[in-house]
Amino acid sequence: MGNMSEKGEVNLTGAKQSNGVWLVKVPKYLAQQWDKAKEKGEVGKITIGKKQGKSQVCFSLNEELTSVGAAQESDTPLKVPREHPFTMNSLGGQTLAVFSQGEKDEISLEGMVVHRAECRPVITDNYMKLKKVQMKESLKLQRLSQQLERAITTVFKPVANHNFNVEYEKKKKSEGKMVRAERQVVLDMLFSAFEKHQYYNIKDLVDITKQPVTYLKEIMREIGTYHSKGAHKSMWELKAEYRHYQSAEEEEEMQTV
Amino acid sequence: MASLGSSSSSGTEYIVRVPKNTSKKYNIMAFNAGDKVNCSTWTQARMERDMSARKIYGEEETPEGAAGSEFGKKQREEARRKKYGIVTREFKVEDQPWILKVNGKAGKRFKGLKKGGVTENASYYIFTQCPDGAFEAFPVHGWYNFTPVAKHRTLTAEEAEEEWGRRNKVVNHFSIMLQRRLREQTAGDEEEDESEKSTKKKKSGGRGSDLRIHDLEDDFEMSSEDSDNSGEDGEGKTKAKNETGKGKSKKKKNNDKDALEDSDDGDYEGLEVDYMSDESSSSDEEPEKGKPSKGEDLPKGIDEASESEEESEEEKQNEEEAKEEEEEEEAKKTLAQTEKKKKKDSSGESDSSDDSDIEGETASALFMAKKRTPPKRAGGRGSAGSSRTGSRPGTPSIDSAATSNTLRAAASKLEQGKRQTQGPGTDSPAAKRLKMDPSSQSPAPSGKTTPQPPSGKSTPSSSDVQLTEEAVRRYLIRKPMTTKDLLKKFQTKRTGLSSEKTVNVLAQILKRLNPERKNVNDKMHFYLTE
Repeated sequence: MGNMSEKGEVNLTGAKQSNGVWLVKVPKYLAQQWDKAKEKGEVGKITIGKKQGKSQVCFSLNEELTSVGAAQESDTPLKVPREHPFTMNSLGGQTLAVFSQGEKDEISLEGMVVHRAECRPVITDNYMKLKKVQMKESLKLQRLSQQLERAITTVFKPVANHNFNVEYEKKKKSEGKMVRAERQVVLDMLFSAFEKHQYYNIKDLVDITKQPVTYLKEIMREIGTYHSKGAHKSMWELKAEYRHYQSAEEEEEMQTV
Repeated sequence: MASLGSSSSSGTEYIVRVPKNTSKKYNIMAFNAGDKVNCSTWTQARMERDMSARKIYGEEETPEGAAGSEFGKKQREEARRKKYGIVTREFKVEDQPWILKVNGKAGKRFKGLKKGGVTENASYYIFTQCPDGAFEAFPVHGWYNFTPVAKHRTLTAEEAEEEWGRRNKVVNHFSIMLQRRLREQTAGDEEEDESEKSTKKKKSGGRGSDLRIHDLEDDFEMSSEDSDNSGEDGEGKTKAKNETGKGKSKKKKNNDKDALEDSDDGDYEGLEVDYMSDESSSSDEEPEKGKPSKGEDLPKGIDEASESEEESEEEKQNEEEAKEEEEEEEAKKTLAQTEKKKKKDSSGESDSSDDSDIEGETASALFMAKKRTPPKRAGGRGSAGSSRTGSRPGTPSIDSAATSNTLRAAASKLEQGKRQTQGPGTDSPAAKRLKMDPSSQSPAPSGKTTPQPPSGKSTPSSSDVQLTEEAVRRYLIRKPMTTKDLLKKFQTKRTGLSSEKTVNVLAQILKRLNPERKNVNDKMHFYLTE
């Protein structure tokens, strides 16, 4: 069972040995208590006895795990009951197997379920209190509507000029108008941009090249085509003679090789 | 840990441990009781996640970078999704179904779907007993319901809908898959020439140009034909009897071996059909099927069947159902022959004996009935020949005849307009007089050129004919007639006089009337003008 098996190969030793296991349904609070167990992992004891011909199974929680709450104080009012008899059920013909998934995704069949059981606490007053608390917790809404005593006045004050706008204008001023660069320079910029992507919006091109729109459009009209409808709507593309894209598939192939 | 000895309780105590450090995640593999899965018989098993849903969630259509891509496409898509509030579910590998293959290629396959909500309100633990006697409890991480996957070919959703629509008509369901396979083979043969990709061979064979919607189609090979199909083949060949009613959909499919009934529930109710043939009990033509016959579908069924039979004789020469087909063919041949004969007789003739046939015949008596009716027809329907001689038929009941007469009346009225007709030389038993084909009339000696108008036809003077002056006058006013014609009008059977007497009386009447004479075609015609 320890060897590295092939990916996907299921280790069937558990099935072959027909390891019998029990599937036990455990209440949430009990599971939570078990999570608090110490390193060794002991949580309690199971007692299997025979009463009037039927086997009785009872689980008894360790004392130290009975307290609910962060601290390990046993005098907090809330205590989890200790005695939990199991109700054993048959499978009813259903075949239940248990498989485990390891860290490296190795799968092994651990065994077959022979019995199903439900773990129920012995009902005590304490238990009732516990349940009441739980219910109150769950009744709390996730989202609340709260009424405010005073209206919030700080956010929506009227302003002469919004901050955002002020900054924008400053930026604009500092950058100044876009200057037309040399035609060849712009062409180079455009070609390098079109090497990365095939379709561009005029706005994006302006952003990349920092050229005035009219100038840029002029150049684009020379070297590219505009798609006014269909896929890649309102986008510019280089003319066929200027582009030499390899198809995506070929690129993938080249990558894998 | 050694188990503690029991003290107070009557049973044995075992320590329960919940190991903390375990890296393994435990899951439940649930099988259905009916599948009778026994894990201990498995020799080998492979299990993987089914990643076919990744493509649906991937949405990676546009290539990234260089060719075909747009600048800023991703951001724009994201902004768009945010704007519309589209929340796409992530593709979580953890939640994907498992594919379990047991005992290699020829073994079973299972698909395990994750059951939701298992760990929400209660936790499941697996209790195993360790060698030292203590119990160890492992929490269950997930629950997967495993169901067996069909390895045989199934119909796609569209095909299934098609077949569902035809379920009442198709009797032999075994051949449905066979048909599909044959269809695919022919499609596959064509495609094989074009593409030689062997991996996709099976699938392309199946697809042709249809759009098929299949689960797991892309990732998993479609299994080849199983022994299931060969079993179906065997069954298909034994379906023998059901070849008859095929006529309808036959034209669509070449090799269609599906059996079809001709009638659907109540489909043909209220249809007025002119009974052209004697095979009224066409519904009984499917006796071997054991289905209840629909009375309304009768003439259609027979005609179709005989047609289809003729077709099928050419097409189905490879059939193995020799015996039963031969039987049927023979029966049909005789029927066809008699049919043709009857058709020659008179097109509009009603088959009142049909009705009695419908009620009387049982399924198994079909062929007997058919063979019986022709002679019965010949006898009872002396009218067939009688239309020529002008004698009266004996058998038919009046009710049916009346209705049939209306139909015939309509039919024959159409004919009247075109053809010249003579006197009331009909065979109709009812009061109405109907004109028959010129061929049924006596070879008109006078060669009448003036066709009588339809309105004039239906005067019911046939059976009440009395050789009176009044009657003769009426005739002569209407149109010029020869003595022979007049004699015809007053047939001896009708008037109850002997032929000699008739002649005498007629002569006397003519003397009294003193009609004018006219020579038409070298024959003396009498006529009166008022």
